[in-house]
Amino acid sequence: MSLSIAIPKGRLGEQTISMLQNAGIGKTIDEKSRKLVFEDKNKDIKFLLLKNSDVITYVENGIADIGISGKDMIMEQGADIYELYKMNIGKCKMSIAGIKGKKIFNENEVLKVATKFTETAKKYFLNKNQKIKIIKLNGSIELAPILGLSDVIVDIVETGNTLKANGLEVLEDMYNINAVVISNMISYKFKREKIKEIINIIRQEDLKFA
Amino acid sequence: MKFLNIEEEISFSEKMFVLRKEIEDLLFNKGYIFVEPSIFEKYDEFTSINTRINNKSTVKVLDNSGEILILSPDITTGIVNKFVPRWQNDTNLKLFYYGKTYKHNGVGIRENREIGVELIGYRGRKTDEDTIKNAVEILSKYTNDYLIEINNNKYLKEILLLCNLSKKENNEILNFLYYKNKEGLREYLNNIKSFKCNVNYINTLENILELEGDLEYILNKIELLSVYKSEVMDKVLNELKVIDKEIKKITKNVTYDLSMVSELNYYDGIFFKGFVMGYNTPIMSGGRYDSFTTQYGKEIPAIGFTIELDELIKIYNKEK
Repeated sequence: MSLSIAIPKGRLGEQTISMLQNAGIGKTIDEKSRKLVFEDKNKDIKFLLLKNSDVITYVENGIADIGISGKDMIMEQGADIYELYKMNIGKCKMSIAGIKGKKIFNENEVLKVATKFTETAKKYFLNKNQKIKIIKLNGSIELAPILGLSDVIVDIVETGNTLKANGLEVLEDMYNINAVVISNMISYKFKREKIKEIINIIRQEDLKFA
Repeated sequence: MKFLNIEEEISFSEKMFVLRKEIEDLLFNKGYIFVEPSIFEKYDEFTSINTRINNKSTVKVLDNSGEILILSPDITTGIVNKFVPRWQNDTNLKLFYYGKTYKHNGVGIRENREIGVELIGYRGRKTDEDTIKNAVEILSKYTNDYLIEINNNKYLKEILLLCNLSKKENNEILNFLYYKNKEGLREYLNNIKSFKCNVNYINTLENILELEGDLEYILNKIELLSVYKSEVMDKVLNELKVIDKEIKKITKNVTYDLSMVSELNYYDGIFFKGFVMGYNTPIMSGGRYDSFTTQYGKEIPAIGFTIELDELIKIYNKEK
């Protein structure tokens, strides 16, 4: 039974590909070429190289059986997929950041929040009973508080260097983020054995990063 | 559904008629009686008896007195609501229906054709067995690439009951199970500081995501992990064993998953779904819903299933 795996382009994808190749799978994948679909005929596996935010869509719709995606994207899209294995790569945090000393929670204030992760931010602040106004941005989120577009930002923080360089600091950590092996809910039922086998292979390589 | 030209539309219409007639004839010949589901339901009544329906997704209409009605989003609820309030003790109903359900899906109103079966007043394993067999018989007429997933949520319910967790913790755990998030579940359980129960129960809960696949595999796994087994859990497993033996007589395409969370909150006991390879939505779903009837003051045993005709016709088109 053939299997298709959605792999995000970029660093997460590179790490995943090298894990698979270490285990002798997907030797044909060549990220430098412009091809987006590769096949491992021996193992009967197809690899799709996709934009990281599209991996979930391909998996949810059953075009790919499994995929590698960040937990941030999974939370944001609220997709109906299985989260089969939490990886030790792609680790970072989703945090609230702002100008040093900014107080986040104030019941008399509508907090202006600039972010790419609008759904996740809405849920988080709703749980904390903080009224907010969401400002959707697509990049250079750090600029928003500096230029007065928002009070705080919600974004992915790895080292905090970008924040520091722009005079911002983490005010509160929201979630730990990591890469996750996801699966289509129906594919999983038909291809359970094969999917479990691939996940075991990934797990063995991934544990080296633990 | 949109069509490019009349020819296509007429051909679809004809196929839908034939498909519907084949299934209806099959059920009629098995002694099921046809009932026509009502299209309108009272909004307040409906949403109070069926909390699983997302209120926002219902399609509302006003009658001339200003009362809010909805276009039926779920036929089973409508049928139960029609018959159970007038129930007399020795009644048995073996019904089938064809109808449409309506839901807002974010883009517009989605209309779904459904054929289904409801057995009200019938108890026991034999009824469960026959119902699943009927469902398999219908599905296997149209494809060989199908898979029936059978479960009994009494197993999971019993573990959760034994674990004695708060409502919030319970919901969090169901969420982890729904997404098969093993690490998430483990971390969450590890972070709960004190349990009001035997640690054995918690270990059993932690391992429940392993209990999926062939029934034999699951039973072996239960022995291997030496997880806790209560009387209720033992009974569930024994029932599944008998059902598995019976269903295997007609098909090998069966799988089980004891961690499965049923999104329909009225299922209570055995429930099942039918999938077809390459199709990204369940074609069929059903189960036992005895406790659903208790809100009318008495528990009446009931089981049923629904077939999604708009999905099945895609397969029908392909196979012909």
